[in-house]
Amino acid sequence: MNGAGQAWLVARREMRERSRSRAFQASVVLMAVAVAAVLILPALLKPGSTRNIGVTGPAPAALAATIAQQAHAAGITARIRPYAGLAAGEQAVRQGQVNVLVTDARRLEWKGQPDEQLKAVVTGAIQLATVRERAAAAGISTGALAALLTPVPVTSVQLGSAPGRSPGDETAVLVMTVVLFFGISVFGQMVLTGVLEEKASRVVEVLLARIPPRALLAGKIAGIGLLGLAQIGVTALAALVAVATVHSIDVPAIRGSVLVWVLVWFVLGYALYATVYGALGSLGSRVEDAQSVAAPVTVVLMVAYFASFVTIGNPAGAAARALSYIPLSAPMAMPGRIAMGAAAWWEPVVSAMITLATIAGLVQLAGRVYTRAILHAGPALSLRDVWRDRTASGRAGGGASSPDTEAARRQAEVAAGEETTMTRADLTRHRWLMTVLTGAGVLLGVAVAVFANDVIIGVAAGAGFIAIANRMVGLRARHTGPPAAHR
Amino acid sequence: MLDFDAATKRFGPVTALDRCTFSARPGRLTGFLGPNGAGKTTAMRAVFGLVELDGGAVRWHGAPVRAADRARFGYMPEERGLYPRMRVRDQLVYLGQLCGRRPGDVNRCVGTWLERLGLADRAADRLDALSHGNQQRVQLIAALVNEPDLLVLDEPFSGLDPIAMTAMGELLSDLTAAGATVLFSSHQLDLVQDLCQDVVIIEHGRIVLAGELAELRAKVPDRFVDIRYRGPAPDWSRLTPATVVEADDSQVRLRVGRDTDVAAVLAAVRDRADLVSFTYQPPTLSELFREAVAA
Repeated sequence: MNGAGQAWLVARREMRERSRSRAFQASVVLMAVAVAAVLILPALLKPGSTRNIGVTGPAPAALAATIAQQAHAAGITARIRPYAGLAAGEQAVRQGQVNVLVTDARRLEWKGQPDEQLKAVVTGAIQLATVRERAAAAGISTGALAALLTPVPVTSVQLGSAPGRSPGDETAVLVMTVVLFFGISVFGQMVLTGVLEEKASRVVEVLLARIPPRALLAGKIAGIGLLGLAQIGVTALAALVAVATVHSIDVPAIRGSVLVWVLVWFVLGYALYATVYGALGSLGSRVEDAQSVAAPVTVVLMVAYFASFVTIGNPAGAAARALSYIPLSAPMAMPGRIAMGAAAWWEPVVSAMITLATIAGLVQLAGRVYTRAILHAGPALSLRDVWRDRTASGRAGGGASSPDTEAARRQAEVAAGEETTMTRADLTRHRWLMTVLTGAGVLLGVAVAVFANDVIIGVAAGAGFIAIANRMVGLRARHTGPPAAHR
Repeated sequence: MLDFDAATKRFGPVTALDRCTFSARPGRLTGFLGPNGAGKTTAMRAVFGLVELDGGAVRWHGAPVRAADRARFGYMPEERGLYPRMRVRDQLVYLGQLCGRRPGDVNRCVGTWLERLGLADRAADRLDALSHGNQQRVQLIAALVNEPDLLVLDEPFSGLDPIAMTAMGELLSDLTAAGATVLFSSHQLDLVQDLCQDVVIIEHGRIVLAGELAELRAKVPDRFVDIRYRGPAPDWSRLTPATVVEADDSQVRLRVGRDTDVAAVLAAVRDRADLVSFTYQPPTLSELFREAVAA
């Protein structure tokens, strides 16, 4: 059997074993639902087009009809409810039966903040009805008055940061960037811990007696990547369906061609980071080393992620343009520019080529590091150790060390053994914690979005919370790590 | 036939393998002996390309070992390891498939071994749900899933209880009888003496003794006579040219020359003492080992 066939077997095992995990299944559903919710939230938050308007006290005879007329012009269906007394009317406002109470045709009473649009409609109607009444009293003919008072329809439009794009699109791009970062970082780190778990459990020696190291690493990256692609694909599909089914929202940023690019950029970004994560994973010796060996890359990924937010505010600017060509940030910056209509057709193609070339180079380096480090036993290596070659990799041969050092190593391992089982439980707890914190972050985002009536702030709050929680848990894991390592 | 041909491996200043030359033959059980750190594990890893040799070669049927050959090899590393959270059967079938075998064949093979080692009812359990002994059995099956022509086992007897040891010994003997080449390392010299036809002894990366065990024992000029007796101890040195190796008041171990007339010695002993038992044999493997390693 050739290396490719074996790599495929490895990939298939990764997919099978990992897709069985409840945490993975839950995260697929959670992410699709959360993204769809964020996209259609503005439409759901937009109040319906029917308003109940209470009227009490003396008022021009034509007021009710005028309100209805004015409201109709503004796209609102007004239902007028007369109330006999002020108390009854105010009670209705408090109970939410009417949106506003018009008292004596000169005061509007609201429950909480006034609805600005309704306020304008009702105020206009009062003015109009009053003017009509006065005009009739002054003997101006109805025809002349109508000609005088024909309302001019005024529409309002929310301008986004890019031509042809609305704030709704900006939300969509924000969500896209968050999803891409999530995908690249979560699945990239799966490669990291996967490599370390194989090394720590020593199964890697059994595997490498059968297949070349490069086939093992390639299969692992491919399998986890396909799983990630499936999750991102499901999420993209959910976004597409959500936008298509809710007619009242118009988000040109979410459409088939853009989402295909999102999937392409996920694959590129994942391939780039997972390759590095895989190589770094082989340097550690225990699962707890994961955060410390991978810290530099994780920091780079975070910086690239936060920097990519400039594409939302100014997708055509120099910063967004530069970020969308740098391979480390392009996977998160370029899709935003495409979605905002700020990239010419050839730009993502050129950037993808640059990223692919970078990946090809990294694959060579990663293969070299992984091959040398994966069978090394003992404390975690540094990249320099691996580069200096023989002396470092030499310690791989357990048989070569003198009896004393071997015995010492064994003792250390026995000591570390208890530590490892303990921290493995810790790790499961971390995973749980992360799932819970991610859920909490999503809820927080939705809550902020509802209360602030601003989806962008909501998403930013949620994403920020999740990012910070992620770092905190990571740091805590690193803090529990070292004491064992120093033994 | 597995041949180490002047295999050399250096780790920095340490020479782990120093022009090692020896063979393991098909249909024979070869014991690979040596003190800790002598180079056994490095040599075994070299068979699987896990260690890149600095010189010499490992050959299989006369040609350097290739990937296709390794698909027909089985290996049980000293550091046992499998996927703790993967189900036993899935895991074994996966490892078999990595050797390029068809799923159907692997499945059948895994089923047979699980049955034989009494693990059939645990096939769907996660590995970490099994006892230590059962995990060892699964590890052994992992080395056998491709019905290997060459089996290399690093310390297969370590951590086994006496019954499991016997079972493992029988299993290895059966595999050799079926034509496989089996090389294993061990520190249990008595067990190796009972099981193996061939032995290889390595010390500081050098092969100090290798060959057919019976022949190696016979070649040594010394023979040992063990006598158990009742009554007063006679003057053993007057029997024949013999050296007392050890003695207490009911038994003695004498070293004599290879060409000593055993019948004469026996007759002389019977004249002088009330004999209970008498054995005459070449040195044990332990004695060969100590001699070889001390030299």
